[in-house]
Amino acid sequence: MRTEHPSTTLTPIMRKLVTDSVSMLGRGPDDARTRAAAAREYAVDHLEELHEEVRVNFGRRGIGYHVAATPAEAVGIVRRLLGEAKRVAKSKTMVGEEVGLTHALRAAGIDVLETDIGEYIVDVEGRGPSHITAPAIHLNRTRIRELLARGGAHFPDDDPERLSRYVRDVVGEYFKDCDAAITGANLVIASSGRVGIVENEGNVSLGVSHPRLHISITGYEKVIADEAGALAVFEVLAPSATAQPLTSFTHFLADPAPGQQRHVVFVDNGRSRIRKDARYRDVLKCIRCAACMNCCPVYRVAGGLSYGSPYMGPIGAVLSPLLWRDGRYADLPFASSLCGSCTEVCPVGIPLHGMLLDLRGDAVQDGRVDAVERAGWKAWALAFGGATRARASSALARIVLHSAGRAVRPTGTREDPRLLPEPRSGRDTAHLRPAAPSAVSAAPLPVDTPPAGLVDLFRQRAGELGVTVTDSAPAEPGIVLEAAGAIASTGSVLLTGDRAARRPLLAAERVIVRVRPETIVRYPSDIVPFLGDGEALLLTGASRTADIEKQIVRGIHGAEQLVVVLTDA
Amino acid sequence: MAVVALFDPCYMSALRPDDAGHARRVLEALGDDVSLIDGRCCGQPAFNSGFRSDARTVGRGLLRAAQPYEVVVTASGSCTSMVRNHLPGLFPGSRGEGAAKIGARFREFGEYVAGHPGAANLALKLEGVVAYHDPCHARRELGVSAKAIELLSRVEGLEVRRLSHEDECCGFGGAFAVKLPEISAAMMTAKLDDIRATGAQVVVSGDLSCLAHLEAGARGLGVTLETWTIAELLSRALA
Repeated sequence: MRTEHPSTTLTPIMRKLVTDSVSMLGRGPDDARTRAAAAREYAVDHLEELHEEVRVNFGRRGIGYHVAATPAEAVGIVRRLLGEAKRVAKSKTMVGEEVGLTHALRAAGIDVLETDIGEYIVDVEGRGPSHITAPAIHLNRTRIRELLARGGAHFPDDDPERLSRYVRDVVGEYFKDCDAAITGANLVIASSGRVGIVENEGNVSLGVSHPRLHISITGYEKVIADEAGALAVFEVLAPSATAQPLTSFTHFLADPAPGQQRHVVFVDNGRSRIRKDARYRDVLKCIRCAACMNCCPVYRVAGGLSYGSPYMGPIGAVLSPLLWRDGRYADLPFASSLCGSCTEVCPVGIPLHGMLLDLRGDAVQDGRVDAVERAGWKAWALAFGGATRARASSALARIVLHSAGRAVRPTGTREDPRLLPEPRSGRDTAHLRPAAPSAVSAAPLPVDTPPAGLVDLFRQRAGELGVTVTDSAPAEPGIVLEAAGAIASTGSVLLTGDRAARRPLLAAERVIVRVRPETIVRYPSDIVPFLGDGEALLLTGASRTADIEKQIVRGIHGAEQLVVVLTDA
Repeated sequence: MAVVALFDPCYMSALRPDDAGHARRVLEALGDDVSLIDGRCCGQPAFNSGFRSDARTVGRGLLRAAQPYEVVVTASGSCTSMVRNHLPGLFPGSRGEGAAKIGARFREFGEYVAGHPGAANLALKLEGVVAYHDPCHARRELGVSAKAIELLSRVEGLEVRRLSHEDECCGFGGAFAVKLPEISAAMMTAKLDDIRATGAQVVVSGDLSCLAHLEAGARGLGVTLETWTIAELLSRALA
């Protein structure tokens, strides 16, 4: 059973991701998770007020504000906004999956292309994403090559770089002639009415700048009070999700360009109801980083598709039965050993495994557990609750504790599961001698001692992302842009206003950004005063993808080379 | 001379009837006067399965038995966490507060021994090599792992080998192992691989439920593995 198990591929990938995430978060700031949790908590507590603020600020900017109560309403609003549009470029949106958007639009005769590389691949496969930030993580490169070959593509090998670039080219071609883009939104900022979206590949950058119509679809809870709150969230989002300091692109979208339309559709679909239940309210703090599924041993073994829901892993096991009240996901909360690693890792402090326990109680109360089990527990309570104890414990313990042994025991040698192991009084002390020397590597983790100065730290961190940092302008051609600021700990540069225009940025062969050293701040949260009130874009390394086996391929949409010139001018 | 109750949980008295004796031996070596609350259940199996009223019925019996004692020591991290963290929430209002007061008196065995004023004077000696399995409840819900590890390090002659993925669950999870045996077994197999990599043939843990699960799996796979609770190890180290 061990050779073909999904866990043989997923487990090592996820283990590395979790370790890398921990060290990325360890770069600080130390209170990042506390601040992110507080910002999300505030948003959930003040949801109605923040939405009112968003509505007013959207009006000022000319961004359309829409609320859909149900998936059907969401699809209806999007179809109405699309009007005559026939070719739609869609990037990743979990709410889009939740409401069945792609399927509904295609059924209405609209051509929809999934432009995220992972989403494109799982769209070809036809079973949907298996992870919320790495949709194709259940597929290995060989299988992905086969899937892409179905569309007539020929590949000499299954190199992830080659496969990623193939999808990149298909997507790039589509963007040359499409009517509308549909994206998600990570956060909508109430105080400024800007839309925050993070991405790595540049397909969102294309979507928000190329077609004349941009529709963002997101959850009703995805608002945040202000820029400080948004950056507090972004500070933990990419480290928790993909062990990146920040994603390649962090967009703050403001007024639509002349001739362009922008709309945001907020989907409620039960969120207002969840918010009224004190036991589950905190689930609305979720920032969809997927850290809980990365660390979950059940997810690693079972894989994301086995959850049968757009939301998988621990967050999926909590969210799915709450969103869909018809009982179709009532069994998901039972798919957990309650080890609590999800609760431990959640960057915004959602007590996930406690919620799983509450949901199990609900499933029993709602009569979604079969009568035999129900009767069994009644008998057990009678035996143990009474004045005289019964030996029911042994029956229970042997059933439970032998099940795993049975699962791995070869057939034919199965022991009688009703037998208890004999209690032993003596021990064979020979077993205290090791069978082998330890094969566990005792090498301590390398200690990260970053340079103290902000300029040196910026050089180091940007360099780690493949960014060239120099003191004089390069001779090679490229677009030259003045940065409004930069972030040392993440190696990011900030472009604002016209300089954040995505079209010229994506068309350039090389992007050269001039940074004044005195505008370098330490952490993402510190960049707030430089963000202005218009368009803003944080670039953290060149565009990249890791959608195939988590192997990083740099330079997807837009320039492969990012050059930073540190200048005193 | 503290008066303590030793709570020997249902599944332990069923599976390892001699383990309570080991725990009692260690507590007495510390100078405690030990009474036994044996074979009762904290209600966790039903609670984890969603059957809360049944869990409450059963848990109430344990709280009543524990009422006369200031300290109740339990050689099982998950039962300790159940009584401390979850059981009180099953009772409404002031009854919940009463349950929380009694629940707060429960101590996980390793945590209690490590913090005992007499611990420094215990003569612990056992030659050998063991691997340490960190139980999830002790680690995450009680936060007592460091104490258990520190306690083991005090045993003269004992080499404790840590697992590469110490933070990962063994796959037991009570009813989970029955409802989803294939997933549970895959998690267990990964844990057994980690244990094997240490070279040790004995694995020590603060939770017998993990140990019994691993032992059943090791037997199924034909792997040589002895599983000792911390109480048993300390008791044998006393001799």
